Amino acid sequence: MWASLSPLAADLVLVIGALSLLIVDLVLPHGEKKVLGYGTAGVFIAGLLATFLLDLSGEALGGAYVGDGMALLVKRIVYAGGFIAVLGSLDYGERHWPLRQGEYYQLMLYSVLGMGLLGGVEDLILLAVAFELMGVPLYVMAAFARKDKLAVEGALKLYLTGAVSSAATLYGFSLIFGAAQSTRLQDIAVAASSAPSPILWLGASAALAGMGFKLGVVPFHMWVPDTYRGTSPPFVAFLAVGPKVAGIAAVARLFLHGETALLDGVAPFALLLVWSTIIVGNWMAVPQTSARRLLAYSGVGHMGLVLLGVVAGTHTALAAVMFYGAGYLVTTAGAFLVVSALTDEQGSDELDRFAGLAQKSPFLAFAMLVFLLSLGGIPFVVGFWAKLYLFLGAWGAGFAWSVVLGAMASVVGLFYYLRVARTMYMDEPDAQGISVDMGTQFAIVLCLVFVVGMGVVPQPFVAIAEEAASALLRP
Amino acid sequence: MTGQAEIVSSTVVLDPVFPWLSFVVLAPFAAAVLIALLPERFTHYLALVGATLSLGGSAVIAGSYSPSVGGLQLAETVELVPSLGIRWALAVDGWGVVLLLLTGVIIYAGVWASWTLEKRVKEFFVLLLVLVAGVFGVFVAQDLFVFFLLYEIAVLPMYLLIGIWGSSNKVAEAGPFAIVFRLLDVGGKEYAAMKLTLMLIAGSALILAAMLGMYWEAGQSFDLAVLARTEFSSTLQWWAFPALWIGFGTLAGLWPFHTWSPDGHAAAPTAVSMLHAGVLMKLGAFGVIRIGMMLLPEGAAWWAFWVGTVAVINVLYGALGAMAQKDLKYIIAYSSVSHMGIVLVGAATMTVNGWNGAIFQMVAHGVMTGLFFALVGLVYERAHDRYIPGMGGFVRPMPFVAAAFTLAAMSSLGLPGTAGFVAEWLVFLGAFESAHPWWTFPALAGAFITAVYVLLGVRTIFYGEGPPERFHDLEDADGSERIALWMLGGCIVLLGVAPGMVMVFIDPTTVAYLRMAVP
Repeated sequence: MWASLSPLAADLVLVIGALSLLIVDLVLPHGEKKVLGYGTAGVFIAGLLATFLLDLSGEALGGAYVGDGMALLVKRIVYAGGFIAVLGSLDYGERHWPLRQGEYYQLMLYSVLGMGLLGGVEDLILLAVAFELMGVPLYVMAAFARKDKLAVEGALKLYLTGAVSSAATLYGFSLIFGAAQSTRLQDIAVAASSAPSPILWLGASAALAGMGFKLGVVPFHMWVPDTYRGTSPPFVAFLAVGPKVAGIAAVARLFLHGETALLDGVAPFALLLVWSTIIVGNWMAVPQTSARRLLAYSGVGHMGLVLLGVVAGTHTALAAVMFYGAGYLVTTAGAFLVVSALTDEQGSDELDRFAGLAQKSPFLAFAMLVFLLSLGGIPFVVGFWAKLYLFLGAWGAGFAWSVVLGAMASVVGLFYYLRVARTMYMDEPDAQGISVDMGTQFAIVLCLVFVVGMGVVPQPFVAIAEEAASALLRP
Repeated sequence: MTGQAEIVSSTVVLDPVFPWLSFVVLAPFAAAVLIALLPERFTHYLALVGATLSLGGSAVIAGSYSPSVGGLQLAETVELVPSLGIRWALAVDGWGVVLLLLTGVIIYAGVWASWTLEKRVKEFFVLLLVLVAGVFGVFVAQDLFVFFLLYEIAVLPMYLLIGIWGSSNKVAEAGPFAIVFRLLDVGGKEYAAMKLTLMLIAGSALILAAMLGMYWEAGQSFDLAVLARTEFSSTLQWWAFPALWIGFGTLAGLWPFHTWSPDGHAAAPTAVSMLHAGVLMKLGAFGVIRIGMMLLPEGAAWWAFWVGTVAVINVLYGALGAMAQKDLKYIIAYSSVSHMGIVLVGAATMTVNGWNGAIFQMVAHGVMTGLFFALVGLVYERAHDRYIPGMGGFVRPMPFVAAAFTLAAMSSLGLPGTAGFVAEWLVFLGAFESAHPWWTFPALAGAFITAVYVLLGVRTIFYGEGPPERFHDLEDADGSERIALWMLGGCIVLLGVAPGMVMVFIDPTTVAYLRMAVP
């Protein structure tokens, strides 16, 4: 029995860690709860080490979970995302909810556990369970600042849309099961070509729409800006990255599977989502005056590109999606951490608060500049390679017009990213310097290292992404 | 297609003892990193060291390049992403040698010209050197992806360079577009910076599309040699060539996509205008020829008429635009549009003389406009004014500046004995030999109009009565600034008197490349 659990060893590390911290929380006196944060960071590091040191290949849970390249990559990405988010929350949590830190980190661990499973799901039921395991803790975490009206509103939006999307997803899954007579993704993919039926396509569309809610794909993106704007800043650095990467991996696993795929029947619908997401996300970011809302809409736009890679459905495109996911995680987490540091200090994330940041806090401004350039797809940072890689893959799959649309949207994107850069570098500062706590600072440096590192030496990361893509598609 | 096979087989790869090309590309970059890390008191010296190393490296490359052998030399290759076929592949041809030297001279002069800068010095030199690293790289990149990557690096620092260190000059709100002008803050440095960046990046999006189309049709390769061997389908040639032409052309100031150039160059600080008009615009023209015409010969033949005709419009429009301006920087900026038109006319002729002229004009205009912008910067710094009709008699307080400005003006209007003459002569010759000889006449007219506005400008600013009372404290160029002026002025005369010095490099490459572009 234990042998069949070996692909889940890293997940078990997280479970054991979470349960141990639960007990530690009970015996820790008030005022020392910050230790739990360090403990959680340690658990994520242990989980990451497990993905490198242990052999996680093979099937588990009777074939419902497969420890292939994609599962491994998604685990590493989301564990790293969890680690970065914990670092950013250490000081903030201590100040804002000193007694409830234990709960916060518990929820975070469970959510990441769900994300880690999504990379390797092979069964509809596990897919649904892991998706909820990822999602439900997020609702609670979003509402942690319960006295802040905006936070409660954001949390409620996240919860309500999340509930609706779960319903849509499950409804879709049940139709898929009805048509394909199996919950195994492999069987479903075969059924998609051998016995296609309107019921199957309806189910697939409902599932795509439901999962699209979580990813923030237009027209299911309405919650994104409000939730990002309202909830506590370090939490956004968690919400905005891990769930997206895990979600896109789950979409890829469900819709792309070898030669035949569930994608075939819903491709026009999916492409419509891609186009609307790219256009709306980028255009709606232009008039934003709040940094978090701006990054929220720009994130929506990025999801459009990522989804384009999945819709393209070739090995190169899927590898690009995985590479993009990793790059997006470090870039966006970093950007939100900078915004978090600034918001925490100044009580607002309006863009004019960034005025003269380059002179007030050169480090924060430089970090933000690098993250913005990466989001905008500028050379020598990971965003450039990610975007080009994705365009390359999509073009090769015959989606030339979508690539042109994406490239044009990048020009729009550069406009609003540069606006932030302008405020930081060209406007005159109005207040004193910003002090950033050690945890956040370390997390930002970590993001910076990866954003630049993956941009200068992309090869090892491309190789890993290709291996992950090989799990689903032949090169 | 024998011509293509020949150029590829005649490509001699001399195993370099030292990777000089990477050295030249990375030296400014390394200097930029060091400047960012070390205290500000080292900044100027580090910038100078970086520029000197690049210029010296370019000289070494010119020395070790063997024109008689020709082709690509000093090749270096490092695999970047093997599975996607992306390699850090650098090699230099005759054109590359000349353009590297030009870039080296301009950045060297540019560092001297910004020696007295006081505002946020560190950031300025970091961005300037990163930009230059990109420029060096584009001229020697042999992998289309790396070419594109370095091209983007060269384009983007401009945004901050103009936005922070630039100068605003409110344009009078008049005419039917007054409201638009007010809304967009036309003339402001931030407007100029954003306009320049977005227009150039939109051009990049077109280049990207063409690049990806070629990549997949050539069997997933970015290698320029492989791409040159590939016979692309007519469909691809038909749409990808104009995409490259307009995409790269935007940076070269191609009409009607030139509008970023006057605003951008007028708002930019001295060294940045020098670099941007001096070398960056050449990247655009270089891209049109090296990527567009050489990799897509069929498409180029198809569109040649339009390329040449629009280029002719460029020459005339730029010249007429310059004539209408009263602002010193705008005149030089519009003259750049006009002179880049000459480069594009030369390119469109698809003749040996035309291409030789185009490359020579890149160098001649680079040096000339570098000198112009250095001088304009000097005048503006001292007079705090760019409005020409209010000036006069500046020759008395600043004779050295006046002499240098007159020299640049002479080259600009193509006086024999200056670099401009050689370049324009070759281009006109090429145009006359081409399939559309009539291009010669409007181009000649453009050169004539140039003489009018340049001479008028020189007369108003430097000669006649004056200087007016409010310009009482004008001073001539001082030591470090004179270094820049001497260098650039010297180059103009040297290239005009002994054009063979660089023609030795340009001509064999042109002959070989033209065989690829005109099958």
